[in-house]
Amino acid sequence: MTDPSAHRLDCGKTVDEISDYLEAGRTPFDPDIETCPECLNTLDALSRAGRLSRELLDADARALPEPSAGWFEGVMTAVRAEMRAGRSIPISHPDPRVDASVTEGAVHALIRATGDRVRGVYVGRSEIIGDVEQPGAPISIGLTASVAWGVDIRAAADGVRTAVAAALATHTELDVRAIDVEIHDVHRPTPPEERS
Amino acid sequence: MDDDDDGPRSDLSTAPDGILATRASHGDTEAFDELLHRHTPIVRAFVYRIVGTLAETDDVVQEAFLTAWRQLTTLRDPDAVRAWLMKIASREAYAHVKKRRPHATLDGFDRAADPHLLPEATAIRNAQLNALSAALDTLPDAQRRCWLLREVGSLSYTEIAEEMNLPVSTVRGHLARARASITIRMEGWR
Repeated sequence: MTDPSAHRLDCGKTVDEISDYLEAGRTPFDPDIETCPECLNTLDALSRAGRLSRELLDADARALPEPSAGWFEGVMTAVRAEMRAGRSIPISHPDPRVDASVTEGAVHALIRATGDRVRGVYVGRSEIIGDVEQPGAPISIGLTASVAWGVDIRAAADGVRTAVAAALATHTELDVRAIDVEIHDVHRPTPPEERS
Repeated sequence: MDDDDDGPRSDLSTAPDGILATRASHGDTEAFDELLHRHTPIVRAFVYRIVGTLAETDDVVQEAFLTAWRQLTTLRDPDAVRAWLMKIASREAYAHVKKRRPHATLDGFDRAADPHLLPEATAIRNAQLNALSAALDTLPDAQRRCWLLREVGSLSYTEIAEEMNLPVSTVRGHLARARASITIRMEGWR
């Protein structure tokens, strides 16, 4: 079978050359190609192949019967089984024979859930800095967040700081000295176009 | 058409991919659950193009998401999690195909005979898409893989080369050929 990309157009260009030009984003501007009707036709056809491929996969995605209900649950069960719980944070108990603790992972979950409750905020990364395994050790919290368009960033950061401080004081015995909130991103208030 | 909102998912449905990937890499299973629901349709379609049967597709996609969960901490750009998932899925899919038939041939695809897919309702567009679908199926494996990674996975030449263990120049050649073959099969040179 001959190589179809070696095919030479009547104007002298090969399909391969035009393909490269397309991949380069049609830069730098090539006046030979851009003014030749035959090249432009080919350029068009080639770029349509790419665009249609994405459409084809989207169409496939819609046409495929959904995975069974148990499929998602199966994946998530396996995922949870491999969860990384992190360090173990001690909690005092009136009975000295009892060793109570909470996992670092649970505290992260608390921080995220609390921060998310502030309007327009999603917590991203969170970090618990300090010797959490040592009761009474000074701890600081670092977290990043994304804020929706139009939301006052300073107010959002303050809101997160206050809410997280309160939640940690209520649910843990950590001696939290500082909570650093870094707004990393701004997101659209609605999800990116993903459906249909 | 409507994707039914099943299950007790929280309002993470509006969170951007980058945030979800960051959280998931720090152990947030709910964020991962959202990524799973959000990207499963396209990842499945992608894998189905490679392995050809639904049952195997579901196994491969499950494996791919588990691999993703384990490797999330290595994801450098959380915003690009979709392309990263495609990369992992492609790796799993080709590993699967290789295991299944050690002497790789082009047959063994039952998709063409699968009555579930592409009902004739949306006629004109589908005629085009069907032609493309057939064209894709006739590509040699390496070309098809390059093509899917490039056009659907949005990977760069370098990433594809790393992924497939090929020189960048070979990837470039595969893509040019794939693009030309598909175009010829769909409409010929005008």
